[in-house]
Amino acid sequence: MASPESQPRFGHSVKCLLSEKVGSCSVDTIALTRQVLKGSRSQELLSQAARNMVIQEDAILHSEDSLRKMSIITTHLQYQQEAIQKNVEHSKNLQDQLFHLLK
Amino acid sequence: MAATGDAAAAMDSISKAPTAQSAALNPTVGGGAGRQAAAPEAAAESPAAAPRKPGGNSDGGVETAEEAVEPAEPDINELCSDMFEKMAIFLQGELTATCEDYCLLENMNKLTSLKYMEMKDISINISRNLQDLNNKYASLQPYLDQINQIEEQVSALEQAAYKLDAYSKKLEARFKKLEKR
Repeated sequence: MASPESQPRFGHSVKCLLSEKVGSCSVDTIALTRQVLKGSRSQELLSQAARNMVIQEDAILHSEDSLRKMSIITTHLQYQQEAIQKNVEHSKNLQDQLFHLLK
Repeated sequence: MAATGDAAAAMDSISKAPTAQSAALNPTVGGGAGRQAAAPEAAAESPAAAPRKPGGNSDGGVETAEEAVEPAEPDINELCSDMFEKMAIFLQGELTATCEDYCLLENMNKLTSLKYMEMKDISINISRNLQDLNNKYASLQPYLDQINQIEEQVSALEQAAYKLDAYSKKLEARFKKLEKR
């Protein structure tokens, strides 16, 4: 790969060339790492996941609140059913009395 | 590609002639132009003259010169290792950042799954309670029928009471009429 940096620099010392080569290799390594991260599309996936999580969290909290209210209402219905059960057991006597009255 | 070949040849001259560098510690720092002129000559001569002898050689009346190099720094190894360590730390940090983001996402998903499990338990309890309630309300149906019958009987009793009231009023009126005679 003939890049402008790899062109022969006449008049530069070997040490200078070596240091430039090391620097370019370091820059290439960093660019490669960043390209690998960019190619994995992790940022896009993570941002989309965060967006979905924000939307979902509100729905989850609302659903949990509704379920807890339903459980409370169910408990109240059970109390009412027990009271009704206790009171309708007297209806047999009432019916017998009315039957004798209407004879 | 030729450019990299010349640079590689120049680097080879350093690796193959370490003594030449040590001998070239002569003060030649001020000779910038001379160095620039000597550098391509040294790069051109390095493949041909691998074992370079210090000092100017004069083989057959031809004088040769060596490249004037700067003295090597005594802590170059330490600097190089420091550079590579920091490079490794930087690269590791670049990759660790994304890994940490994924770990955070994993924890958030675990908490969400726990939340869903709690909601599932609550839903199961509600379902069981409502089934019991439906069964109990189904067992109350005979009593509800009895209440309907009681309501009909009470209506019939009420009608009988109205008739009795009307008859008693008629009797009272007739009695008063007979009493006046």
